[in-house]
Amino acid sequence: MSVDLSVNITGLTLKNPVMPASGCFGFGREYGEYYSLDRLGAVVVKATTLHPRLGNSTPRVTEVTGGMLNAIGLANPGLDQVLEEELPWLANQNVPVIVNVAGDTVEDYCIVVDQICQSGLAHAIELNVSCPNVERGGLAFGVDPQVLRRLVEAVRPYCTLPLIVKLSPNVSRIQDVAMAAAEGGADALSLINTLVGMQIDLRTRRPVLANRTGGLSGPAIKPVAVRMVYDVAKAVDLPLIGMGGIFTGKDALEFIMAGASAVAVGTANFTDPRACPRIIRELRELMAAEGIKNLEEIRGCAL
Amino acid sequence: MQVKENRQLTKDVYALKLVGDFPYHEVQAGQFVDIKIGAGLEFPLRRPLSIAHCDVKKQELTLIYRVVGGGTTWLRHRDVGDSVDVLGPLGTGFPLPKPQSSVLVVGGGVGIPPLYQLVREFDSSIQPQIILGFRDKFDCFWIEEFAEYGKVTVCTEDGSKGHKGLVTTALGAENKWDYLYSCGPKPMLRALKGHFEGTTIQGYVSLEERMACGIGACSGCTCLTSDGKGTKRVCKDGPVFPWEEVVL
Ligand SMILES: Cc1cc2nc3c(=O)[nH]c(=O)nc-3n(C[C@H](O)[C@H](O)[C@H](O)COP(=O)(O)OP(=O)(O)OC[C@H]3O[C@@H](n4cnc5c(N)ncnc54)[C@H](O)[C@@H]3O)c2cc1C
Ligand SMILES: Cc1cc2nc3c(=O)[nH]c(=O)nc-3n(C[C@H](O)[C@H](O)[C@H](O)COP(=O)(O)O)c2cc1C
Ligand code: FES
Repeated sequence: MSVDLSVNITGLTLKNPVMPASGCFGFGREYGEYYSLDRLGAVVVKATTLHPRLGNSTPRVTEVTGGMLNAIGLANPGLDQVLEEELPWLANQNVPVIVNVAGDTVEDYCIVVDQICQSGLAHAIELNVSCPNVERGGLAFGVDPQVLRRLVEAVRPYCTLPLIVKLSPNVSRIQDVAMAAAEGGADALSLINTLVGMQIDLRTRRPVLANRTGGLSGPAIKPVAVRMVYDVAKAVDLPLIGMGGIFTGKDALEFIMAGASAVAVGTANFTDPRACPRIIRELRELMAAEGIKNLEEIRGCAL
Repeated sequence: MQVKENRQLTKDVYALKLVGDFPYHEVQAGQFVDIKIGAGLEFPLRRPLSIAHCDVKKQELTLIYRVVGGGTTWLRHRDVGDSVDVLGPLGTGFPLPKPQSSVLVVGGGVGIPPLYQLVREFDSSIQPQIILGFRDKFDCFWIEEFAEYGKVTVCTEDGSKGHKGLVTTALGAENKWDYLYSCGPKPMLRALKGHFEGTTIQGYVSLEERMACGIGACSGCTCLTSDGKGTKRVCKDGPVFPWEEVVL
């Protein structure tokens, strides 16, 4: 049986629903040595900020049972280099490019979104709202519905491309922030970002990460992520990109049944550099075996 | 790859010999491999281990590892014939010295393994002086193997074998070397750099950092450049760096 893996998210057609998650794939060059990037539904790049950032002190990654913690601290080469070097390279890879944007202030977000949209080198913007809001004492933009709505409203006029808002799971009711993002003008939502966690070294009796806390990702967070996609799918009528612990085609299908239109793969790239093409293949085989002709047939079927 | 041998060298150090499909001819001394731990997803991050010896003719790869936690404990329990998922070779290794030059090689603990592949690659005109630092006499391994390639001096922290104290105590005041190659704990690398401050010796050091992707994509393993203004990825730009380039 031939299956159709293609999906459409706010006017953007992807040949399959699988994309790497931001921050787990750099700007694509390294994984491009393992397979051709045009096999992916899209490429989502590392968070891009107005100025270059070195990130936090090391250690800034560590493993926990079934997952990992990271406190990279948004290390990236900054907007200018992303526009001059990274995006032009990606533009030649024949794959839709989604640029993840982060900032300390609302103004930073607007400038970066504006310039990336004007460059013509991207296909969509993903707003990373898990970053600390410098103007609000470092509390993340994405945890207060009012603050989030105002950020999305402010960015919206500059964003001539589809605007995806990436939700933080570190909230008590994710439906509320999802609705705020929708009211602010988001075209789609992606979820989840990492959950704040900590690991302590028994020998030094101190947290392992220099930053003390870090974002938990990987298989350990999958049930939380599936539940959040499910809750948001019930609450808002926007396309969703689901992620959190996706390692196999089965995992991807679970998110789609919970209401996601597409999925992103983060930590799995580290375990297996060919994880994304493998997941695409597994998804196709699974659909054929289950007699599913296209993803629309099963999207949100669990709701 | 398949396990050909998994041999105990000391109380907690093992030598793992692997055979099977691997780009042996691409290996550069100082590079590492990244090993998947376990069949499931309990350990999602691979473990970086230096290439101690890559035998292109026999198509064999040898890694030497100390059992310190869950991953290396799993590795210790691999039997002959078991499969191990190996990614590599990864990273940037040691640039080789010019023929005829005088070379100092200093390794500490499980920083020693990549230096074996290195001394084997030296031009035959080079007789390196090799200093190997261990905790105590029970912690020593591969001293005879290194002795085939140069003059070996052993140091132990407690003096139970060779010189007592840190590797720098075995150096003396003279400096007759063109190159220094070193891998081991950061305090050792720092002490060496301090020892040779103001001399013309060209030092290359191999760094260790916690890694996630191992291939340069996640920015997890960076170190600061000497000017304090930039970072380098230990897994991709390193693990070997000219020592003036990075903050030790
Ligand atoms: C480039 C490179 C080469 C290395 N070569 C060797 C070698 O030849 N022989 C050897 O014995 N060891 C080597 N190490 C250290 C080795 O990677 C760790 O000892 C090993 O990962 C520990 O895994 P574990 O699960 O047993 O320990 P745990 O402490 O349970 O590991 C938990 C997590 O921390 C990471 N981690 C722990 N210690 C280190 C460390 N020292 N460096 C980097 N990550 C660490 C692990 O990879 C894992 O993700 C090297 C490290 C690097 C970065
Ligand atoms: C090392 C690392 C770096 C990350 N960097 C970013 C980032 O720059 N921007 C962002 O929106 N999310 C970032 N994330 C979050 C991931 O995109 C993803 O939401 C999360 O890891 C859950 O997916 P996973 O379990 O498949 O990894 C990062 C995650 C990891 C592990
Ligand atoms: S471990 Fe990912 S960049 Fe080095």
